[in-house]
Amino acid sequence: MFRSVASRAVPRVARPVTQSTFCAPNIYFQSQLRRGYASEAEEKDLVIIGGGVAGYVAAIKAGQSGMKVTCIEKRGALGGTCLNVGCIPSKSLLNNSHLYHQILHDTKNRGIEVGDVKLNLGAMMKAKETSVSGLTKGIEFLFKKNNVEYIKGTGAFQDEHTVAVNLVEGGETTVRGKNILIATGSEATPFPGLTIDEKKVITSTGAIALQEVPKKMVVIGGGIIGLEMGSVWSRLGAEVTVVEYLGQIGGPGMDADVAKQAQKLLQKQGMKFKLNTKVTAGDAGGEGVKINVEAAKGGKEETLDADVVLVAIGRRPYTNGLGLENIGLEVDERGRVIIDQEYRTKIPHIRAIGDVTFGPMLAHKAEEESVAVVEYMAKGYGHVNYGAIPSVMYTHPEVAWVGQNEQELKAANVKYNVGQFPFSANSRAKTNLDTEGFVKMISDAETDRILGIHIIGPNAGEMIAEGVLALEYGASSEDVARTSHAHPTLSEAFKEAAMATYDKAVHY
Amino acid sequence: MNATKILQQGRQPMIRFLGKRSTPSKIDHTPQVHPASPTHSLPESFASYRQKAQQHGPLNQTNKISTSHIGASPGSSLGPVEAGKGMYFDRSELPKRFQRLAWTADEIEAIESGGASLHA
Repeated sequence: MFRSVASRAVPRVARPVTQSTFCAPNIYFQSQLRRGYASEAEEKDLVIIGGGVAGYVAAIKAGQSGMKVTCIEKRGALGGTCLNVGCIPSKSLLNNSHLYHQILHDTKNRGIEVGDVKLNLGAMMKAKETSVSGLTKGIEFLFKKNNVEYIKGTGAFQDEHTVAVNLVEGGETTVRGKNILIATGSEATPFPGLTIDEKKVITSTGAIALQEVPKKMVVIGGGIIGLEMGSVWSRLGAEVTVVEYLGQIGGPGMDADVAKQAQKLLQKQGMKFKLNTKVTAGDAGGEGVKINVEAAKGGKEETLDADVVLVAIGRRPYTNGLGLENIGLEVDERGRVIIDQEYRTKIPHIRAIGDVTFGPMLAHKAEEESVAVVEYMAKGYGHVNYGAIPSVMYTHPEVAWVGQNEQELKAANVKYNVGQFPFSANSRAKTNLDTEGFVKMISDAETDRILGIHIIGPNAGEMIAEGVLALEYGASSEDVARTSHAHPTLSEAFKEAAMATYDKAVHY
Repeated sequence: MNATKILQQGRQPMIRFLGKRSTPSKIDHTPQVHPASPTHSLPESFASYRQKAQQHGPLNQTNKISTSHIGASPGSSLGPVEAGKGMYFDRSELPKRFQRLAWTADEIEAIESGGASLHA
């Protein structure tokens, strides 16, 4: 009723009252006065939720392409899981624990006499922390260099263009963006029945921060994370048992020949394996942890005692508290944000990359996507080749692969040639007294185009780069074989594997 | 060495320089399934969201859009932003600035007091 009064009331106000919304001359002006808060921030070209590898690389790329960018990160340090509690700290521990193990067991035959060798775990952890903090601070510097606004806080969608941020230092703010990028990453999948306390029952996060070397450690899951962290603590003196549900270690993608060899070599180093075995229950109530296991297809039950249990059964996308429900965004049955070929969700200006969406959960995959997604926004064109993303396991020896493995090709009825070359026939590996492993190359039987490369051996993680390049360029094994590789290097094994694929290796 | 030479003459390496990298002139931006999607399909919501978002806008009036470069035709040539035949705008579907504003207690007070409350 008062609305009709209002229309009559407006002209009756004789004096202009500038601060009143009531006598504003039009709706637009009225809305400006009512909604315009002095503290409201400008609209950004891109708001990124998550400062992990996916998020921070996208932020830098967007800054470089002239966009106004804000990156929201709640950890208090940039770099996400990879830099803070994943790839980087684990590599620090893998490298230093390998050195320790080598000094203990592999010096005499090299002509080096060592005295009393002792482990200082605190100092080893400190070295890890120094590497991590150096790198995370490096990203903050790059943010400044590329004009990226960095907000420390937890972001949640308020509406399709607004992200509310709960600041780490207290208080709240909102950020508006023309484009919003979800790069919230993933978290370790918990094991039902075991509560993670990161002391006795740990994920990879706890595994890089143990205060002392456990006497007995059980690793649930024989994938890359489980084997890497198992290796670290095995080298430092723990008795490590890996329980894997499948009949093969290494997780999806690893070639069966490579997985067998890796298992053999890790066993030689002291790790124990229980394959085709499922964990039925766990009890962390006592001093240690008791884990009940039985054969995957049913069989007699067994109880494993451990001081520490590492749960490494995989990772799941992390979207808790992101407010996806506020904007009606859906996730698939495994919690991944659903996207199209340009990383757009159903709301086209909201995109998602990295672990939170499809594809392998790898930092370098996320990094590729970051570059592509910013190019899609800035130029309308980007590209990631999902067929040429390498996987690396940083045990000793390292395992690395790219492309398809033999099992996959057999299942797809593809005819192929295989060439293999052992490091025991490679001169550099011989001089390094590090000759375990081989390079295996698979090419199309008809065209000789390389379909997959699988390496187990010293420096496999570096060597796979050549394989990825060959695959990306669509090279034949002959192309690689006819490319000169320096002598004496480990890379000659790569060349000889290529020779073995289309013809015959020289040195084997 | 001669054997290698002979072999090399008949061999065309597969790795070749293809020229400077360039962006394709035509890119299809319609949502397609992501290459790493395990289901190999896009949910219906992708199409329905766009349909709803574009229902009254120029993007939905395909016959009136000029296909040449940006700015080739004036915005007025698109005609008025009108709902299609038999369709009607709902005020709630419009951008916020066009939507009805809620009355504040101050406004009601101002009206009821004939503006006196503004100077109280």
